[in-house]
Amino acid sequence: MTRLDLGTIALRFFTLLMMAFLIFPIAVTLIVAVNPREFILPPNGFTLDWFKAAWSSKTFLRGMGVSLVLGIVAATLANALALPAAMALVRNDFRGKGAINLLLMSPLLIPTTIFSLALYIWFVRVGYGSGLVPLLVGHTIHIMPYALRILTASLHNLDPSYEEAAQNVGAGRIRTLFSITLPVIRTGLISSFALCFILSWNDFPISVFLAPPGWTPLPVELFAYIKFQYDAVAAALAGSLILLSAVAMVVIDRLAGLRRVLRS
Amino acid sequence: MIRRLLPPLAPALIALLIFVALPMLWVLRTSFNELGDGAYVVEAMTLDNYIRFLGDPWYLVNTLWFSIRIAVVATAISVICAYPVALYIVKTTGLQRNILMALIMAPLLIGLVTLVYGWIVIFRGGGLLNSLMIALHVYDRPVRYMWDIKGVVILLVYIGAPYVVLSLLDSLERLNPFLVEAARNVGASRWTAFWKVVFPMTMPGLYAALVIVFSLNFSAFAVPLMIGNSNTQMIGLIIYREALLNNDLPFASALSVIMVAVNALILVGMAALFGRIILNRLEAKR
Repeated sequence: MTRLDLGTIALRFFTLLMMAFLIFPIAVTLIVAVNPREFILPPNGFTLDWFKAAWSSKTFLRGMGVSLVLGIVAATLANALALPAAMALVRNDFRGKGAINLLLMSPLLIPTTIFSLALYIWFVRVGYGSGLVPLLVGHTIHIMPYALRILTASLHNLDPSYEEAAQNVGAGRIRTLFSITLPVIRTGLISSFALCFILSWNDFPISVFLAPPGWTPLPVELFAYIKFQYDAVAAALAGSLILLSAVAMVVIDRLAGLRRVLRS
Repeated sequence: MIRRLLPPLAPALIALLIFVALPMLWVLRTSFNELGDGAYVVEAMTLDNYIRFLGDPWYLVNTLWFSIRIAVVATAISVICAYPVALYIVKTTGLQRNILMALIMAPLLIGLVTLVYGWIVIFRGGGLLNSLMIALHVYDRPVRYMWDIKGVVILLVYIGAPYVVLSLLDSLERLNPFLVEAARNVGASRWTAFWKVVFPMTMPGLYAALVIVFSLNFSAFAVPLMIGNSNTQMIGLIIYREALLNNDLPFASALSVIMVAVNALILVGMAALFGRIILNRLEAKR
């Protein structure tokens, strides 16, 4: 049924327009990043010089290091907190389950500004002040609901009889976890980790509140840079972040289905 | 039951208690404190921080009311832009659908600062947008987007629209296509079929989208920080500035409490409105 009437054509045209809107800044960044003459569009050639400059900048490299460590540790912690909780929620039905689920999702419901401010004030209050720990805590707590969501979904697909079988032949709970449960939900774990990592890697609001001096994550470093100049080196850095996000998107989508993961 | 459930749930719940619940309560407490000389927080029980904001017409008009208006406008534009897209996507399949979905979700995963870089290139005085608009004869001299409210709204729509598309798709995919067919068969025009069948069924998705996107816009601080100017003092931005630049934690806390309260009030109003709309639809059907 390929009836092409005016309504469908208008709908298609409008969708195209919106897609152009969504892709516009991303495309512009990538084009500026490989264009030899700064900002002169349309592009007049191809160069990786800006990427070289971006990837040899000490500030950016340090920011990248910080973001990398932060992303890996926060994603690991978030999954470590979310996995047992997800297992308890999937395997049991009890009164107040909905409430606990809502509580576990609460970091997503609080505006990021207020969540970050609250953590900042709290760490000052308990006498810790600013440091790496608040930054790490902020990232971990904020991405944990996403981990919980993916892991819950993949645990739903796990047939409990596998685990029962393992326990029947004498495997302990730890043994069962490592030789049955984790391998079976492997794809869920990988995509949960990838999503947590990319959310932490790209985060700006939490980092800008909580990052201590000397531990500036890459997005905050990029923000500080483009506040004063937005040359093609910044484009190359932004371009690198876009490419990395694209890779993560493909991985998450292949393993868990991106849409299910992002649904708010 | 408790003995079996508590060990796996405890780490996450304790983490949330220590790092979300208690800090939020501490924000409430801090909002009654004072700022002493040398920007130290002094324990107190005063409403000064609230009075400073709520008693000042400048703050009320240029910050609170301004944030509400911007959030409403940006949310409305997001919905208007996203609705047709969702209607189109739900009919696509295969590769076309995958590409469209990837484009919709890309802005959600790519960091805000990264996206803002591209927007700066587009917005700049003689930038791409102005060149394009002038070439299309929409207007004949450059318009200001960067450091301007127009840029802020465009960016908020850019961030909000994908959320709206995703929520609407959830509703649209649940819609039985035979309902539309049936309406068309009994003589409804395309337009009538949309208003009488499709639109009411997307109410839950629309409501979810409004809640998310309005809250996101109302509390926005990164966007006005990066491309706004002195006339775009949204409440989230003021919180950021008072907390981090002026180190006035009590005032920033009071602003946070006000922001959450106003946001909650608006969401309650929205819930009542939508509850009534959905109820009315049910009544009408009977």
